[in-house]
Amino acid sequence: MKKIEAIIQPFKLNDVREALKGIGVDGVTVSEVRGHGRQKGHKEIYRGMEYEVDLLPKVKLELIVTDARVEEITGALLKSARTGKIGDGKIFIYDVREAIRIRNDDRGDAAL
Amino acid sequence: MTTAAMPPSDPSREEFLASGDAVGVLSRRTSEVDQAVLRAFEETLAVLYRSGLAAIAVGGYGRRELFPYSDVDVLLLTGRDLSGSGDAAAVSCFVQRLWDAGLRLSHSVHTVEECVTLNVQNVELVVSLLDMRPLAGDARMFEDLSIRLPKFLREEGRILARHICRLARPRHDRFQNTVYHLEPDIKECPGGIRDVHLTHWLGRLRAAVGQAPPDEAIQFLSRLRCLLHYRAGRDSNRLGFEMQEEAAALEFFGRHTPADFMREYYSHALAIHRAALAAMEQAEDTGSNLLSQFLAWRSRLSNADFSVVQEQVHLKNPMQLEADPGLALRFYQFIARHGLKPAPESESRIARIASHATPRWEDAVELLRQPHALKALRAMHSSGVLKTWLPEWARIECLVVRDFHHRYTVDEHSLVAIGELAALRGSTQPEKLRFRQVLEEIEQPELLSFALLFHDTGKSVSMTDHVVESERFASQALDRLGAPADARRTVLFLVRHHGDLSLAMNTRDPADPATSQWLARRVETIENLRLLLLISYADSSAVHPGSMTTWRMEQLWRIYVETYSELTRALGIERIGGDAGDAAGASGFEAGFPTRYLRTQTPEAIEMHRALHDAAAKRGVAVDLHKREGAWSLVVAARDRAGLFASLCGAISGFGLNILKAEAFTNRRGMVLDMFAFSDPNRNLDLNPSEVERFRVTLERAILGKVDPVELLKRRPKPKLPSREAHVTGVVSVNQRASESATLVEVTAQDRPGLLYDISRTISEAGCGIDVVLVDTEAHKALDVFYITANGKKLDEEKAALLRSKLLAVIQ
Repeated sequence: MKKIEAIIQPFKLNDVREALKGIGVDGVTVSEVRGHGRQKGHKEIYRGMEYEVDLLPKVKLELIVTDARVEEITGALLKSARTGKIGDGKIFIYDVREAIRIRNDDRGDAAL
Repeated sequence: MTTAAMPPSDPSREEFLASGDAVGVLSRRTSEVDQAVLRAFEETLAVLYRSGLAAIAVGGYGRRELFPYSDVDVLLLTGRDLSGSGDAAAVSCFVQRLWDAGLRLSHSVHTVEECVTLNVQNVELVVSLLDMRPLAGDARMFEDLSIRLPKFLREEGRILARHICRLARPRHDRFQNTVYHLEPDIKECPGGIRDVHLTHWLGRLRAAVGQAPPDEAIQFLSRLRCLLHYRAGRDSNRLGFEMQEEAAALEFFGRHTPADFMREYYSHALAIHRAALAAMEQAEDTGSNLLSQFLAWRSRLSNADFSVVQEQVHLKNPMQLEADPGLALRFYQFIARHGLKPAPESESRIARIASHATPRWEDAVELLRQPHALKALRAMHSSGVLKTWLPEWARIECLVVRDFHHRYTVDEHSLVAIGELAALRGSTQPEKLRFRQVLEEIEQPELLSFALLFHDTGKSVSMTDHVVESERFASQALDRLGAPADARRTVLFLVRHHGDLSLAMNTRDPADPATSQWLARRVETIENLRLLLLISYADSSAVHPGSMTTWRMEQLWRIYVETYSELTRALGIERIGGDAGDAAGASGFEAGFPTRYLRTQTPEAIEMHRALHDAAAKRGVAVDLHKREGAWSLVVAARDRAGLFASLCGAISGFGLNILKAEAFTNRRGMVLDMFAFSDPNRNLDLNPSEVERFRVTLERAILGKVDPVELLKRRPKPKLPSREAHVTGVVSVNQRASESATLVEVTAQDRPGLLYDISRTISEAGCGIDVVLVDTEAHKALDVFYITANGKKLDEEKAALLRSKLLAVIQ
């Protein structure tokens, strides 16, 4: 089992969810987050006042998937979240030791 | 929730699903549980405790209202402490026996003394005793309690009642004090079964009299709760979308459509909620001196039409309604002004004649601009008056829309959105302050409220393209009310575009200039953008209580700022006829004006401007001066010259008039069109018709450079300094990148008489020409945008810096 964590642009969330739905992925945790990588922040000028926005709004997706599906899902994420510009985000993949469904004690792939 | 989750063999369930007989279910289950408790008591406790211990049914079980999977509340009433290990083991054995029999037992062990003592810890115990019923054990224990409890309740009843209310308020708050949830919890929500219990308890305590909810409503909820329990196979009280469909199709719920079924649910829940609120109000009425004094003070609000008694508005002469149906409109305007409640009898009289009153646009606006407009709207909504006056509203009444994100019905969502805007006005949360600031700059916030009432009415027809239908309904209503063209245009724009900013946020890159250009094209003007920001804020905040996160606010603000910059930039570069020269259709006087001109002016106004332009081309100047809807409007066409705009501002200010808005454009032929809206605080022009002519002549002389504005301004009294509270920090920004050919200067300052003259004079004296001007004044704040050139070109850096420092000195 793997955990896929993707930090994406907020305006790409709908596209990504559609793409995941398209390959039969239903379970995903979505969080509103802020941060920056190489994109850094940006300057906002409103009526002559300058505001520094150093942490940019992003969306974090978390999915736990079977090993067999990692490539397929990562591919869908890459395709749907990409604009080709700086700030598109990143994908991280972690090993998961165990998954347990609280309702009925299912474990491993059965719990996903 | 599936059928598979149902307990496999329960004849009661099958019988209920066939008949819908909730009363039968409740009483049958109570009898079955009684037998089980008796058996367990006999087998475990009775053998050890011949006396001094009794089992008593309390709470819902005491009332014989055991729903299929409700907890079973049993009190073990004891004469002595039972915490010793032997006693505890005996009690455990009794409890275990019942758990093994499949009952969810909720038991407690108390002495009689503890039962007749009131403290924070045992409120729930005392409340549960209101419905106590003996089950097994020492009858004398129960008798003892039965004798002592009534005396105790007589003494402590009022305090207990207030405790009960104190527990109910946070529960109502948790559900935003509304019955209109898309997937309600039919036990805990306002108007749920807990509210039925609440009125029952307050009635038993004689703290509230005559406030019982209708039987029909209680039966509906009981039937529904039985169904939810049976279908879930547990104590589940959430009426989800799937269950709404299933319940609606059942014979005993009348085989409705799900939408009609939910309408029936909401009407029952509303009746229960109202009864609960009325009962709580009675119970919480302390009659304290301070409160009485406050209420007496409020009663002074009474006038010739209405009397205010105990925070309720009564019609003084109800018979007058027949002859003067407009009284009904004034009734709700009075409520909106003072934040009072309608007296029930006055409200039902008004509901009966509401169809005879025909509200006009002015009536609607008068109500919506009041501080407690939402209170009046809610009162009108719950009495049915709102849909009588705005029949389009009936379409979304109690309308359930299956949307994962939404929490409320469409009507409730619209009202919550109006409430969110009202709440913004008083908000001190740092992340909301900038939205609040924009709201304070809006000239007619009531148009936002009107647009919010209609923005989702189209959902009654189509979910995929509801905006088109919403606009159609809003248009109907605006026609019927006789709304003026400007207001009509704004409201329809807001309804049509209310989702644009959210759409951009969710689907477009805010950093991409194409996004702000796309929005700028749709929004057209900065004024529209401000309104759209606020309607988006309100609409998104009303989706569910936590929907407008700081994160979302930041996103929304960013989209707003980017589009604002784009619109300001476009003012300088997007010209009618383009840069190259006169294009087809733009060969007239407007060639060279910013494209904003065509977006903000009506065809009639453009025709009038053309005539002025032609007249000015012949004699150098032409002036149109009129009073429109409370403010004066001045349009000037003239041949451009250095310092012309400053001269005009000086002439206006010199007459004691305050400039509210101004726009000034230059066309390719070197002719200017300057438009001003100004107020006449001393009513000089209003009261002296001859002054109008003198003003016109003075203007023409100022335009032609025949009079010095400085002389005119000398006659004007020194303005008062602004109050500390109203102080706005002056900001001057210079942007060289906004346009290829001109420098953008933005000035934000505390408004004062003569300010615009001082700013424009400073610009002229610095040897600069004003190419485009857009001036707005709201809430003591002047927001001025100038595109400036020197010798037909952008200002060089040195000149720009010098001008900035001079302007800063002027506005400080």
